[in-house]
Amino acid sequence: MGLTEHIVMRELDIPDISDFAVYRRHGGWEAYRYALTEKTPADIVQMVKDSGLRGRGGAGFPTGVKWGFLPKGVYPRYLLCNCDESEPGTFNNHQIIDKNPHQLIEGVALSAYAIEANVAYIYMRGEFAAAARTLERAIAQAYEAGFLGKNILGTGFDLDIYVHRGAGAYICGEETALMESLEGKIGQPRLKPPFPAVAGLYGKPTIINNVETLANVPRIVEKGVAWYRSHGTEKSPGTKCFSLSGHVNRPGNYELPFGVPLRELIESPEYGGGMKGGRPVKIIIPGGASAPWLTADHLDIPLDYESLAAAGSMLGSGGVIVLNDTVSAPYVAYKMDEFFKHESCGKCTPCREGTHWLVRTLHRMVEEGHATAADIDTLHSIYRQMAGNCFCLLGESAVMPIKSALQLFPHEFEALVKRSSSRNGHQIPLIVRH
Amino acid sequence: MSDVTLTIDGVQVTVPAGTNIVDAARQAGIAIPVFCYHPRLKPVGMCRMCLVQVGTPKVDPATRQPVLDANGQPVIAMMPKLQTACTTPVSPGMVVKTTTEEVRFAQRGILEFLLTSHPLDCPVCDKGGECPLQNLTMGWGPAVSRFDYNDKVHFEKPVKLGDLIYLDRERCILCGRCVRFQDEIADDPVLGFDNRGRNWMIISKSDPPFNSKFSGNTTDICPVGALTSSDFRFKARVWELQSKPVVCTLCPVGCNLTLDMRHDRLMRVMPRENAAVNDIWICDKGRYGHRFIEAPDRLTTPLVRRNGKLVPVSWDEALEVVADQLTLIRARHGGQALAGLAGPQLSNEDLYLFQKLLRELGSENIDTGIGGPAALPPDEIGGWLAPGPNTDLSKLGSGTVVLVIGADPEEEAPLYMLRLRGIAQRGGKLVVAGLRPTKLERSATQVVRYRPEGELAFVQGLLKAALEHSSRTATLERLAGWKELRAALERVSLNNLATACGLTVDGLNQLAKDFLTASQSLIVYGWEARSAGPALTEALAALMLLSGRTGTANNGIIALLPGGNSRGAIEMGVRPDAGPGYTPRKQRGLDANGIWDAAREGKVRAIWLAGVDPAAKLPVARAALEAAEFVIVQDLFLTASAEYADVVLPTASVAEREGTYTNAERRVQRSRQACAPVGESRPDWQIVAAVAQALAMVPIGGGRNGPIPVTTEAWSYMVAADVGNEIAAQVPGYAGITYAALAATGTGGSWGRQFDDAIYYDGTSYTNTEGVGLVLPALASKGTVNLTFTGKVTRFADERPMLLLEQVLAYDGDRHLRGSKLQSLIPRGYAAISADDAAKLNIHSGDRVRLISAAGEMVIPARVLADVPNGIILLPAGLADVMAAEIETGPRTRVNLAKVVTE
Repeated sequence: MGLTEHIVMRELDIPDISDFAVYRRHGGWEAYRYALTEKTPADIVQMVKDSGLRGRGGAGFPTGVKWGFLPKGVYPRYLLCNCDESEPGTFNNHQIIDKNPHQLIEGVALSAYAIEANVAYIYMRGEFAAAARTLERAIAQAYEAGFLGKNILGTGFDLDIYVHRGAGAYICGEETALMESLEGKIGQPRLKPPFPAVAGLYGKPTIINNVETLANVPRIVEKGVAWYRSHGTEKSPGTKCFSLSGHVNRPGNYELPFGVPLRELIESPEYGGGMKGGRPVKIIIPGGASAPWLTADHLDIPLDYESLAAAGSMLGSGGVIVLNDTVSAPYVAYKMDEFFKHESCGKCTPCREGTHWLVRTLHRMVEEGHATAADIDTLHSIYRQMAGNCFCLLGESAVMPIKSALQLFPHEFEALVKRSSSRNGHQIPLIVRH
Repeated sequence: MSDVTLTIDGVQVTVPAGTNIVDAARQAGIAIPVFCYHPRLKPVGMCRMCLVQVGTPKVDPATRQPVLDANGQPVIAMMPKLQTACTTPVSPGMVVKTTTEEVRFAQRGILEFLLTSHPLDCPVCDKGGECPLQNLTMGWGPAVSRFDYNDKVHFEKPVKLGDLIYLDRERCILCGRCVRFQDEIADDPVLGFDNRGRNWMIISKSDPPFNSKFSGNTTDICPVGALTSSDFRFKARVWELQSKPVVCTLCPVGCNLTLDMRHDRLMRVMPRENAAVNDIWICDKGRYGHRFIEAPDRLTTPLVRRNGKLVPVSWDEALEVVADQLTLIRARHGGQALAGLAGPQLSNEDLYLFQKLLRELGSENIDTGIGGPAALPPDEIGGWLAPGPNTDLSKLGSGTVVLVIGADPEEEAPLYMLRLRGIAQRGGKLVVAGLRPTKLERSATQVVRYRPEGELAFVQGLLKAALEHSSRTATLERLAGWKELRAALERVSLNNLATACGLTVDGLNQLAKDFLTASQSLIVYGWEARSAGPALTEALAALMLLSGRTGTANNGIIALLPGGNSRGAIEMGVRPDAGPGYTPRKQRGLDANGIWDAAREGKVRAIWLAGVDPAAKLPVARAALEAAEFVIVQDLFLTASAEYADVVLPTASVAEREGTYTNAERRVQRSRQACAPVGESRPDWQIVAAVAQALAMVPIGGGRNGPIPVTTEAWSYMVAADVGNEIAAQVPGYAGITYAALAATGTGGSWGRQFDDAIYYDGTSYTNTEGVGLVLPALASKGTVNLTFTGKVTRFADERPMLLLEQVLAYDGDRHLRGSKLQSLIPRGYAAISADDAAKLNIHSGDRVRLISAAGEMVIPARVLADVPNGIILLPAGLADVMAAEIETGPRTRVNLAKVVTE
């Protein structure tokens, strides 16, 4: 059930689309020209609202509705494109920039026009050095072609787009921490409310959208709402670029309409091509490391926001990690929480201390082979003490791996305890390490 | 703002809209535990300690009406997650639950998390015993620790943040109170965070580290022992301390202090809550600058000069010498041969008796301070036009206009910087005018910068503009010199005045109008304004009187004078021209400079110095003391002046006696005795009374100058309150200011020292049970202002190119800073010049420069500073090694500046 035409990953249809001239030949920047010359910003907002486009960064919030939160008559406004893409198992933004950068820039420009912003920033993960150069080149070409700058196409609309590279912190993908970082401060989330739409970058009304979200906008304007809604499901229209990784034969980015079953993504020869060596699926993490785990029982769940939520997980960033029966669930939880511990900004107590404690405990159980029955209770209470109590979603995300592992594979933790206590009848020694 | 009613744990409470749940709960008597939240700082919701369950009435989206249940009660929709009470404002009908198992579990969890990284070194921690982390753990925390002790994170410690504060990063729970205090309250954003996760840490961003005059406050609000004071580290356990309420005498703010004593020894100085004076803050000068009390070189016995050497004697012997000599000199040369100078840090009781005795002996030669070229006449304006009773700067905000002119509050009266900044933060208009930038300027809503030739034009321009907007001139018409001032104003155009000060006519008009039409208007002036000459402050007085609100609460003039009780000294009549309460004397005596001249001419023969050390600063005083027949030095230390003394009398420090002090707003405050006097030292008032008693006993009488009119009965004061009662009875304006009235704490009370209340706010001893003081009834309210407009401006002996201005520094050569940790922060003497002036003469910081005036010359290291205007030299005259009197010709001096070329 492949797409006849890709919405975002158009390099699959038009191999050289990363070339500015090729992009232009295939109608590139025409949606923008049409919008600027024939549509009002409100028309574009309405169009995006009608399209049902939902934020691809993780929360799945309707984009048009978000744009509508801007307070009327307050300027300047800013558009931020979130390209921090740091969620483990997620790598589609990077590909969009590599293969189809002009569509992203056009999307940013179109969206800036829609929300009446004259400055847009693309905040990029620090490691994306080459991608940043690609974007800067694409932006320069857009300036040259007269799509950016002052009095664009004679319409009186001004727009400047800047690319800013972060300094290497996962938390800067959180929208308010991203703004702090962009303002030159230490990357830490802000208290909400006020929400960014009211007081965001430099205290001004700000809209922040993910790369993939913005890359959708030119196609909606170009081909219309009805065409767009013919993809995907009623509540999750359009397509999603899934980043498939783990023990599959063909890991990679695949653009699928919403609603395709998980099984198809993993098993279809067009996509994942099945599990490596034919081993059974053990753990599926469907929306990046922050998503609660699923198992082989969930293979028939359709990949859309509602269905995954109903299954107790989330679509998140679309980073689907599939692991086979050779992995140890406690070890996976340990490695994932080590990531969260490393990335915890330190601002709030439960995340700062909770991730540290989780990792210390798991390290002892998994790596050092010293596990006690009490450790399992401790792990349960640590994540319970964190869940719902953190300042931002980073701490909440750190709960997911350990909570999922404990709930889905309790026997594996018990086995660790048994293994420790059966060792020559030794009591667990006091470990001293620095 | 309207009120909001909500229910917390079943208790209904009504609070102003905008209140957060923590504060609302407190009003209902319910404690919600907090760490990062502090009532004086913006909430940040970081520590997550205050998580509670919150629900709001469910609203039907169609009708927008609350949904009611079967019993007609609103249905409450509880939020799915716990909310931080500190960041959640109350709303009508809100329901808050703080004791459910869900909440308890979360709060216990947060405490357990915090303790996983905490070293649990309470037995050696200074905070132990008044530690919110300890207290909250007892109240809300888990009973046991499950965390493996070996998994704790370790940091190098302690980290010295400057000379005053140490940081222990292991104890730190990263609440950020210190960072936010420095940003929001102190306006010294020198602290910050670095790194992330468990390595997130507090750092100092300034050089020198933690460069702030308010740094000590962070140790008070730190909810753990992470920030400790170098002054108190490992000195005592807090439960051993006895808190003694004292008033700070180091500047005219009069901050309320608690001296924490252990067995009569000073362990630490803490702020004592007084919303109208210092809130819960004090500056580092007040906190660290009280070590003089226990300085090893304090005088402990009276000394009498015998065979050229000062030898210890008993009080009786010393008093006999004093009485005999004073009687003898008075008998031979008359009362006018006696003179006395008192320091502005003495209490009202000391000062009152000092002038009373001298005047009874027939001398009007009485003054405050030491004189010198830069001495100014007593400031009457700040007395007559001081703000009225119930003045409380902490309540002022929008609707207030404050004009700060020629003052550097951060240095002259540090806490005023916070108070005035607070008014601007709450929406008030803060206009800061001056010759040079000050730190307060950063908080100003308007900055006016003029050249020296424009400063009088600015105030006169304001006054001229104000006269066009206000017809309330009745009080002014009665004042001497007003007609002349008005006529002078009519002769100049507003346009010319505006041009001279660099403003526009519209700007002056707008400012004058704002000042007159505000709900409250205040004027604050300091040394720079006073040094311009009386004309400047007189014009400000007229402006204030034009507002028609003089003498009412929060309206008036605050003059920042040197010393903690300079206003008291003026009001007690320690001045040559008026007695207590601004009552003019028939015959004017000599001021300090007059005394120096008269002594050298042999007209003044006995000089009594109480708490002043003129010999340290003035060559002319040294000559006069040398010439005088009899010199009494009454002081804490063997001062430079004591070299000339015939008798030295040891005085008790502010901590060792009771007394009352009048601050810059004319608030009278009572200070209590914290410990026994050192050695045989006695309070100044007792010494004066004892001298009087001794005089009454002298058998030889008064000779041709009449008998000594001092009787034993009239001078039989037992306690300080006896003098206080006499002041209340005798000094105009002080009626009703009894010790009992001063002890009232007013409403609001205090936060208590330990446990429950302390959990909510802090662990520190802010408790004020000993009175918040009283603002005196305004002298001006009766419409009988007695001011004269002299129109005098500071004149110069000649016109040399550079203008030398004294600069007041908080940390200077004051002998009260002896033995304190502040010593390392006191700079060596320097003359500060602008970068442009420095470039012209090829001067770099540290180069020696020669300052030459009509009076003399001085060689001193230069400092090139960005905030010195061209053409101006700032000279910190208060530093011990700056002998300003050598070159000064007046309050301001014209000098030549030259680089000293060394070969």
